[in-house]
Order: sequence, then structure tokens, then C-alpha cells
Amino acid sequence: MNYLELWNSAWPAGLTMLSLGSGFALILLIASEKLKVEVDPKIEQIHEALPNLDCGACGFAGCGQYAKSILEDPELLGKCAPGGQESTEKIAKILNLRISNSDAPKRPIVHCRAHTDERTYHAGYKGIPSCTAANALANVQACKFGCLGFGDCTVVCKFDAIDIVDGLAVVDYEKCTGCMACSKHCPRNLIEMAPFGCENMMTVACSSKENGKSTRAMCKVGCIGCGLCVKQTDIFTVENNLARVDYKKYQPTGQTETALTKCPTKVIIYVGKTASLVTCET
Amino acid sequence: MNNELQTKAKFSFPGGTHPPGSKELTRESKIQQGPAGKQVAIMLSQHIGAVCKPLVEKKDQVQAGQKIGDCDAFVSAPVHSPVNGKVKEISLQSHAVLGRIPAVIIEAETENNPPKQPCSAKFTNDFNDNSYSAEQIRTRIRQAGIVGMGGAGFPTSVKVEPNPKAPKETMIVNGCECEPYITCDYRIMLEWTNQIVAGVKLARKAAGCSEVFIGIEDNKPAAIEVMNTALKTSANSDGIKVVPVKTKYPQGGERQLIKAILKKDVPTGGIPPMIGVLVLNVATTAAIAEAVVTDWPLTHRVVTVTGEGIVNPGNYYVPIGTSVAELIEFCGGLREEAVRVILGGPMMGIAIADLTTPTTKTTGAVTVLTEKQIGGAKFAGIQTPCIRCGRCLEACPEHLNPTKIAHAVKNNLLDVAESYYISACMECGCCSYVCPANIELTGYIKTGKILLARQKKKIPQ
Repeated sequence: MNYLELWNSAWPAGLTMLSLGSGFALILLIASEKLKVEVDPKIEQIHEALPNLDCGACGFAGCGQYAKSILEDPELLGKCAPGGQESTEKIAKILNLRISNSDAPKRPIVHCRAHTDERTYHAGYKGIPSCTAANALANVQACKFGCLGFGDCTVVCKFDAIDIVDGLAVVDYEKCTGCMACSKHCPRNLIEMAPFGCENMMTVACSSKENGKSTRAMCKVGCIGCGLCVKQTDIFTVENNLARVDYKKYQPTGQTETALTKCPTKVIIYVGKTASLVTCET
Repeated sequence: MNNELQTKAKFSFPGGTHPPGSKELTRESKIQQGPAGKQVAIMLSQHIGAVCKPLVEKKDQVQAGQKIGDCDAFVSAPVHSPVNGKVKEISLQSHAVLGRIPAVIIEAETENNPPKQPCSAKFTNDFNDNSYSAEQIRTRIRQAGIVGMGGAGFPTSVKVEPNPKAPKETMIVNGCECEPYITCDYRIMLEWTNQIVAGVKLARKAAGCSEVFIGIEDNKPAAIEVMNTALKTSANSDGIKVVPVKTKYPQGGERQLIKAILKKDVPTGGIPPMIGVLVLNVATTAAIAEAVVTDWPLTHRVVTVTGEGIVNPGNYYVPIGTSVAELIEFCGGLREEAVRVILGGPMMGIAIADLTTPTTKTTGAVTVLTEKQIGGAKFAGIQTPCIRCGRCLEACPEHLNPTKIAHAVKNNLLDVAESYYISACMECGCCSYVCPANIELTGYIKTGKILLARQKKKIPQ
């Protein structure tokens, strides 16, 4: 008896819910057909070919955004630093594009080699431990150009590839993908992206544009702009009291090795996966 | 009775703090002749705007008052040599804000180099500005290289230039000197009263203002009194009024002063001329009077050398370009307890590491603090987490939320910081001062501003 009463009161409710449900389902079915958004399956494929790190090195908000943009503008191909050659080739295959001979991969070079005990300080700094904050205070260290060592670059690196060792930013080239985050965030613009044609690269690890006398007073290992390296080989140039390596021209030769040994402040060094002379593959 | 009424302040602004004034160290010290300037370094950028190009070369002979750097840009100001001497070199020198910038270094002649005296004696109470046209005054202001001497260093010639789109009706002369320790403006108001009144009249004419208010904090009753008396007896001083304002930091900020005296708000991100107001510092008006009447450029200024860390604090008339080290040595040197040397006052000044830093047109004070004055925990840089007490919100004269902005900057959320109007902050330091957790709020806000500027500007790769 009780069950019958329950059934009598329940079936209209059940029927109402059922009809409402099927009604909405019908509306959704029609809507999904009528208002369908065409998504290019290629976007999904390109997205899969990318490393999906969302590092932003390509200049877009993330990998998804970049995948969409490549489809619209194939010129953007090859901007993915972490994916490198591999993902570029994959994407090229999806889009039926032919890739031109790509340049050497770019890797950051920190243009300073002074550790805390090699620099001159006028006074101690007790402010906010950030390079940008410290850089706002003039003369936080005597050298206006050198690494501050508070690690703004390590904070932004998504690959744990840059670290502060004794007050100096050091790149781990095994881990680095060349996403440029460190280069963009250094308040002193010390980190330059250079094409690594070889296993490692020769560089003048200094940015001081002060004259030789001032640089010597500020740092034990600064470039004094003496020009001894220029006499050895033409890959070096001296401008504003500062020597620079032409990274595109660099090929390890006897002359470059002589320049390195002759440098009076030993500011010419090798950077890369190994820190000694290696023969170039290309 | 009447006097008491006059010096009692009714005007102020919401927010702000009351740091200990500490002005008794130098308040009674008369302006004395400063160091002779054996070697001066004239920075080629002592102002906001384009950097000057040097007009002299190494080994050139220069005369006192000779123009040694200039620039054609509208927003700029030339620089002059304060001494007779020889150009030693043009090299990079430390600057408190700009790092290392080019400066002309002049070695003064040992003989035939009498120290320049202040020209306040040349001004009498009956100074009349009728003999100078507005155009003439403006030209001389530009040629003399006068910039805002309160600290910002905006070229005065640009400020007084009439703008038909936004005519300046009111001029406010800033004699507040709200920053603790500093007394240079107070001393010149007392000692160079007539010169300041003359400068005010000239600036009023140049800018075409009708009303003039001289705002002075009510902890300087003597200055209010002498300025009032000078104005009462002076010719052609109708419309110039001394307004006592409440002693509160940052009463001397131009927005705060305008709010206190005129009850008007300067729009966020805007400048006072937008509401027809011109604000000049008293020291700037004194420099205008000197430039126009004696045709001498801005080469000397009064600097307060003060703080518990200095042996003989005082107010000194020094050639611009004298190094901080020379100034400190002239004042008997540093005490053993001295730990921090600041260009400017303790609230808005900038700590300098390199004592060879030369003084500039905007250097009003050198403050040397001891650990006791800074506070042990603050000096050690011990910061504890924010407890959301809201004291920084109450203290902020711009009605911002410093703690929210600082947290956003700390977590690299610049768009959030921007949504809390980070750019409206004038870095007065009230929030850092009142913070019980010693959080460097102003420091974080400043850092955030730099990061924002970097983000907006495309960085060349």
C-alpha cells in the first residue's frame, strides 16, 4: 500500500525530470551542431610537437598560443629554444614546410667573471636582496657594470640552469635551453645571447666601459681595454675600453689560444659545456 | 597674541607621519662659508632632462661663473664652474642616483681665488621687480641653470614658461622643509629673507601668477615671523601671503602642499600645472633673485651637514661639485659610530657608498646616521612577515595600499602592482617608516617601478 502511494507521487516528478533532461539534451545537440567551431587539427599536432614548457622564449604567452601563431604565420617557425632543431623539424613536417639551414643555437654568456673577493666595495649593502633593487642604489659595488650576485636571473630561470657562485651568475650549459629569460631580466644587461657554433665559446667576461685605470681600481679581473688580444686575431675588437669577441666569426685557432694566455687580467675565458679548448665540429 | 595666531597652522593633508625632527642639531647654526673647493667635479647632469655636453676640454682655463656644459634641449639646464681653475679631466664620477656619469673636474687655483660670498646683502626690503621684464627673467633663469633645489631638480625655466593651454594662476613657495634633520631652507629664510622675497616677486612675474602662498611648517615660528614682517614692509608684495602649515611629513611634497593650502587634488599621474599651480622651493627663489639681479649663475648652495655621526654639524655655503668627503672633513670628520652617509635627509635621501660623490645643485643635505638612529633591527635588515596592521595605509599621503603593492612586486606580479597604482607612489618613505615589521615597502615599490619601466620598453637583444 505504502509503495503504491509512493509510486503515485513519484512518477509525475520522474517524468518531469526526464522530459526536461531530454529537452535540454536536444537543445544542446542542436546547438553543438549549429554553433560548431572549426579547430584545425594541425594546432593540436603542433602543440604536441612542442616541449610544452610554456617558458615564453618564443615571445608568446605559452606553447598553445605559439602553435596557433605558427599556423597563421609560418615565418615564426624555429623560435622555440627548448624544443630546438627536433621540434622545428616535426612542426615543419606537419605544415609541409622546408626549413632553411638554421643558425647555431643561442646560449647566454655572462659578461662578468669577478667573484665577491675580486671586486671592490665601498660599503656594505643591507637592502632588499634583489639585483634590480640593489642596482637602483648607485655604487652598491664600485663597478657599475658587473654582476651584482643577488640572483634575479636564477629566480626567472625555469630550467635551474643559472646559479650564483660566490657572487657571480654561472650558467649550466647542460641544462640551459636558451630561453633568454635571464638575459631579459638582468638589470645590468650583462647576459648576452650568443650563437654557439662550437661546443664552447671564447668570451671577454667583462662589461666595464670605464678606462683601464678605473677598472683596475674596481676589479681585479676586469677588461682594461689594452688591446693585446686585438693584435693576435681579428675576432677581437676594442670599443669604449672594452674588448669583445665576434661570436659569429669565432673558430678555435692557435691565435685565439695565444690571446687568451696573453690577456693581462685573464678576462678572456671559455664558456660552455667544457671550460677548455675543444675543436669545433663545424 | 597676534603673532601666535599667525604662526598657528590650520592647513594640512590626510595621511603622513611624524618622525622626530632632529633639527635642533643645526637649527641655530648660521650659514657659514664652506670648504674652499680645491677640486670640484661638476656633473653634466644635475637635473631631470637631457644631459649637457661639455663646452670645455682638458687643460682649459676656466673662470668662476663660466658656463662649462650646456644642451639645446628644452628640458635641460646648463652647468657652470664655481671656481677659477683648470680642467683636470672629464671623467665618470659617482652620482647618488644615476651611478657613474660624466663630470668636468676642475682644479681650483690656489691664489686669486676668493671664496664666493652669499649675495643676500645686495637685497633690501624695497626691492622692486619693475625693472625686469618677464621674458628677461625667464632667459636669465635658463642661462643661470637654475633647477628645483628641493631635491627633484626639474629645470625651473621649464616650470615658469607660460603655457597658454594651462595658465598658472597660483604660485606656492615651498618653505616646509618637512624632512627631518635638514635646516638649510630654514636658515636661508631667516638670513636671506629679502633675497627670497625678491626671488618670489621675480618668479611670480616670470610665470604670470596672481596669488602667491609661502607655505612654512609651524615648527618654524621664527621663519614665519621674519617672512611675514619682510612682506608687510616690502613694496609691491600684494597677493603674497605666508601660510603656516602643520608640521607633518611629507608636508613639503608638492601634492601635499597644494592639498593643504588650496584644498585641491593634483590628478594621479599629473603635475601641478594641470590645475594651474606652480610650486617652487625657497632655495630656488633665492637662486632666481641672485641670477636675475646679479647675473650670477647657480654655482653655490647652502648644504646642511648633519646627523649624530658628524663631529660639527652645521649649515654651509659650498661650491656645487665639492665632494662629500671634503664636506665631511671640513665638518670635523665622521664619529666612530657613524654607519650611514645619506645625500638628503633620512626619509627620502639616498645612502651613498662612495664618499667621492660630488654634491649637485639638488644636494640640500648630507646626513650621517649612527646605528642608534636607524634602529638596530632596521639597520640589520631584519624583516618579519606583514601582520596586516594597516599602518602603512594610514600613513600613505597618496592613499595607496603599500603592502599590497610590495607583495605584488615581491611575487613578480607587476600587473597587480599596476592595478594598485604603483606609479602614483612618490617614494616619500612613510610606509617603510611606520612598518612595525621593518618591511622595506618603499624599496619594493621602487623596484617594481623599475621592473615595470623595463617591461614596457622593448629591450634590444
